[in-house]
Amino acid sequence: MAVIEVTDLRKSYADLNVLDGVSFSVEEGEIFGILGPNGTGKTTTVECVEGLRRPDGGSIRVLGLDPVKDARKVRELIGVQLQQTRLPEAIKVWEALDLYASFYDNPRDWRELLEEWGLADKRDARFGKLSGGQQQRLFIALALVGNPKVAFLDELTTGLDPQARRTTWELVKRVRASGVTVVLVSHFMDEVEELCDRVAVFNRGRVVAVDTPAGLVGGEHRMRFTLMAGDTGGMDGLEDLPEVVEVAREGNRVVVTGRGDFATAVTAHLARHHVLVGDLRIDKRTLDDAFAALTGRSFE
Amino acid sequence: MMKLAVVEAKLLTREPGALFSLLIPLFILVVFGSSIEPGDTVLLPMALAIAVGMVGLYLLPTTLAAYRERGILRRLSATPVRPGNLLVVQLILQLVLAVTACGLLLAVAGTVLGATLPTGVPSAVLVFLLGTASMFAIGLLIAALAPNGRAANGIGVLLYFPMAYLAGLMQPKDQMPAMVARIGEYTPLGAFGQSMREVWAGGAPSPLLLGVLAAYALVVSIAAATFFRWE
Repeated sequence: MAVIEVTDLRKSYADLNVLDGVSFSVEEGEIFGILGPNGTGKTTTVECVEGLRRPDGGSIRVLGLDPVKDARKVRELIGVQLQQTRLPEAIKVWEALDLYASFYDNPRDWRELLEEWGLADKRDARFGKLSGGQQQRLFIALALVGNPKVAFLDELTTGLDPQARRTTWELVKRVRASGVTVVLVSHFMDEVEELCDRVAVFNRGRVVAVDTPAGLVGGEHRMRFTLMAGDTGGMDGLEDLPEVVEVAREGNRVVVTGRGDFATAVTAHLARHHVLVGDLRIDKRTLDDAFAALTGRSFE
Repeated sequence: MMKLAVVEAKLLTREPGALFSLLIPLFILVVFGSSIEPGDTVLLPMALAIAVGMVGLYLLPTTLAAYRERGILRRLSATPVRPGNLLVVQLILQLVLAVTACGLLLAVAGTVLGATLPTGVPSAVLVFLLGTASMFAIGLLIAALAPNGRAANGIGVLLYFPMAYLAGLMQPKDQMPAMVARIGEYTPLGAFGQSMREVWAGGAPSPLLLGVLAAYALVVSIAAATFFRWE
């Protein structure tokens, strides 16, 4: 079942088309990534879905509801972590959770969330005294305190150190494991590759692809090596391997292009035919390459 | 809504600015009160105007602008609760603070300093409400226009001192140029202070000044509502 359906979403500010016909759908129980460089309409899209902004055109359904017309019902069912939001410096961790829990009809027990998110010993600490990672965990806990069906996490790990990012990733997986569908907005390739079941790639206010991270990377990889000596007759037949697309040879330097796990097939073939090679190197495509191919520009 | 009020009230008690709004007018009252003649009708109204002015021009806009700057209003709009609730709660709490500050001043002045308290309680209450409404309206306008909490703080202080001067809170009115004193009477804080003095002197407040206060309250709050942004 589609939890979120966005069709031909349009939004412009002062003649600038921020969203130019965005469509995608999010299935129940997945971590859905919204990926793209800054300023490509990711946050605007998510804010339209959350009902914080009114779209100029197109339609949005969140659990079958319209986020503008059924705003209150939708807000009851979603949890949100916004970019660049803070809390009052003097509010204590438990007060924030207790307060936000009181906004919902059917909230979770915030004491459980305190434990789950490793904030139990920070219960009485003021927001201003928390570290960046602790503040981020509190924001995720606040997004979950209403017992939502869908959680929106926007640029979750920006500003966190690598260790805290890894920890946060594990926590996001845990959110999904608890049955909450997650929409993750990010401009980090590694984050999306690690976490998302499917990804919508944004560029200039449009969705240029929706696929699994592996599907997006997909395509062809290259393997280069130098023939060392001896019998190179074993090179014949390399082209006939099903995973291999092309073999280019110039003197004793060889470039093999292939798909999937072609590298294993190629090295096995060479070993079987006693071909000695050196300087072996595999150029794997990354999500960055996929993005460049999709949009015609590099990511950062 | 109740929990929101409780949490916001707690936050207000942790806010140093709230303590200042209570203590600074009290300090002024006590320092000057010790050297004042009995039957004085100027000092206590002045202290009351300072207290209400501090809450309305300084504390209220700083708090609200900071809430917007920090995205707290926006975060609230993503919950089933409307961010307008927070605004209402804040206005009520700041009003409670202004009343508390004035109550403290009256209590100290009435007992320790033996100052005159007005006999016309209804007119005193009316003047207090209209004066507070006009101060809060200006505070809301500052909150609407200031890009962040610090700017709101700056604008509040910047407005407060000239307004306090024009209102005759910085030096006695009879030592001010007549023209300035006359103009000052029609500024919000000036009309407030002058009406207070009239009540303290045992008379009825001038309808003109009450009208001026009501007009400020109305016009400025409409402007604030027009310019207010949630994010």
